[in-house]
Amino acid sequence: MTRVAAPKLLLILALALAAVYLFPLYWMYATSLKGASEIFANPPTFWPREPDFSIFPATWERRTMDTFLWNSLVIATGVTTLTVLLGTGCAYVLARYRNPWIDIGLFAILMLQVLPASVMITPLYVGFNQLGLLDYPRTAVIIAAAGKSIPFYIVLVRATFMSVPSELEEAALVDGNSRWGAFFFIVLPLARNGILVLAILTFMQAFGEYIYSKSIITTQSLQPASVGLSGFLGPNSTDWNGIMAYAAMYVTPIILVFVILQRRIVSGLTSGALK
Amino acid sequence: MRRILSSITDGKGFDLIMVGMTMLFLFALAGVPLVYNVVMSFQQVDMFNLNTFSRPFAGFENYVAIVSQPEFWLVIRNTAIFVFGSIAGQFIFGFALAIFFMLSFPFASTIRGLFLVSWVMPGLVVGALWGWILAGDFGVLNAILRGLGIIDGTMFWKSDPNLSIWAVTIANIWLGLAFNMMLLSVGLAGIPRDLYEAAELDGANGWQRFTTITLPMMRSTIGAVLALGLIYTLQQFDLFPAITEGGPANSSNVAQYWAWQWSFQLFDFAKGATVSMMMLIFVLVASIVYVRSTRHEVRG
Repeated sequence: MTRVAAPKLLLILALALAAVYLFPLYWMYATSLKGASEIFANPPTFWPREPDFSIFPATWERRTMDTFLWNSLVIATGVTTLTVLLGTGCAYVLARYRNPWIDIGLFAILMLQVLPASVMITPLYVGFNQLGLLDYPRTAVIIAAAGKSIPFYIVLVRATFMSVPSELEEAALVDGNSRWGAFFFIVLPLARNGILVLAILTFMQAFGEYIYSKSIITTQSLQPASVGLSGFLGPNSTDWNGIMAYAAMYVTPIILVFVILQRRIVSGLTSGALK
Repeated sequence: MRRILSSITDGKGFDLIMVGMTMLFLFALAGVPLVYNVVMSFQQVDMFNLNTFSRPFAGFENYVAIVSQPEFWLVIRNTAIFVFGSIAGQFIFGFALAIFFMLSFPFASTIRGLFLVSWVMPGLVVGALWGWILAGDFGVLNAILRGLGIIDGTMFWKSDPNLSIWAVTIANIWLGLAFNMMLLSVGLAGIPRDLYEAAELDGANGWQRFTTITLPMMRSTIGAVLALGLIYTLQQFDLFPAITEGGPANSSNVAQYWAWQWSFQLFDFAKGATVSMMMLIFVLVASIVYVRSTRHEVRG
């Protein structure tokens, strides 16, 4: 199976496959650089005839992207902070022991992952409304989205903690550390990399969060970039170069972070996802 | 008092606090809303009693009303197409790519890792990209298909009621394919190489090696990947508002988007809760079937 004698040919084939798969991304950047008439050329031009970069500042200005992206940043930071604070300790305890209670807890967390956000949003909205939380819409979205991301985070961070040998921690306890000391000074530093990668992943997902924000935040100046994009997107859109420019400015930071951390993200995801 | 304190610093109290806080939070944000959803689906909810708990009891009225909607069976059909189409597409393409990237050539794992970029992108952006690629007159997919001689005319992916659900399904296959591939790669990497060598010595050809070694060894991975595919597909929401908004005439509407429309476009929260309850029952039944079938398979 591995004895194919033409690794170069395989490499070319692999690059071709990647090019086909990533074509939608290329098309986003190419379309954003096209003029308003060129986007409707038939057949479409695969390379923009006169790349026009002024669309980026123009779209940024017209769609008030600074406000939208700031709100996305606030929401993503809040969700990540809450998830890391609540998820890390729980994942650690679930990794440390094996008994029926832990199994029940793990099963409950796995089941929570199954619940679709579109199912949860109706009772959450009505409940938040009754509690008065809708007056602080971004906080409400942060709490709701953290509830969604914590189970996912726990499952994957637990896998990281599993790989930290418990002997190290026992030695620290024998040396007179409290459980807290052993956790914060021995276990956490050893699991730091895995936690960091999953925090970044949580951040990226919260940065693109849509359904809770769309349903809960009605004031435009508090909406994140995903809701801002949906405002001029639909089955009958025509402003495609503007939409693609918006999309490009929205996802380019995410893509860059992903490409830089690709190896770590992939291993962080795959280590826990199947256990 | 001191016993409690020392338990918190040195004993079980530490574990209980760590797990308890999180469980309490998750219970408040998932357990309670779930129960509340069941309650609401049996109530009459309108804008006037939204803020009170004492709402008129409606019995099964909401359920009867939902089932007798003219679009009910259409939504069920679309949900089935979307779920099974997405899972099949993601799995078949993902498995093929995973096997391809197991071959040894330079940069194999780096190139494979790049595929995962589709998975970290915001769903709404993916929807916007595909909404543009699948556009009728000016969409690039139609131009490519015409150039390859596969189609003659123009496929109106988003506005043709026979195609619209497939438009969203195609976008979702692209979105989830890389994640499927990644998980299947992990499973493939866990199969010992010498099994293949032994089979080769015995004269087994590629197909025989695939069916007698790869598939049986991958059984639990495949089960997990298909289950995760079902979970993620039923959670997929962002593509619908971005590409078709469930239209034209509900021809691409699915349960998860329909539930949201009831609550947040028609402001009939009871009906929204009812649709989500029906969907949830489907999710639970599907996961029970899945658990039972995999257990049976593992026993052999």
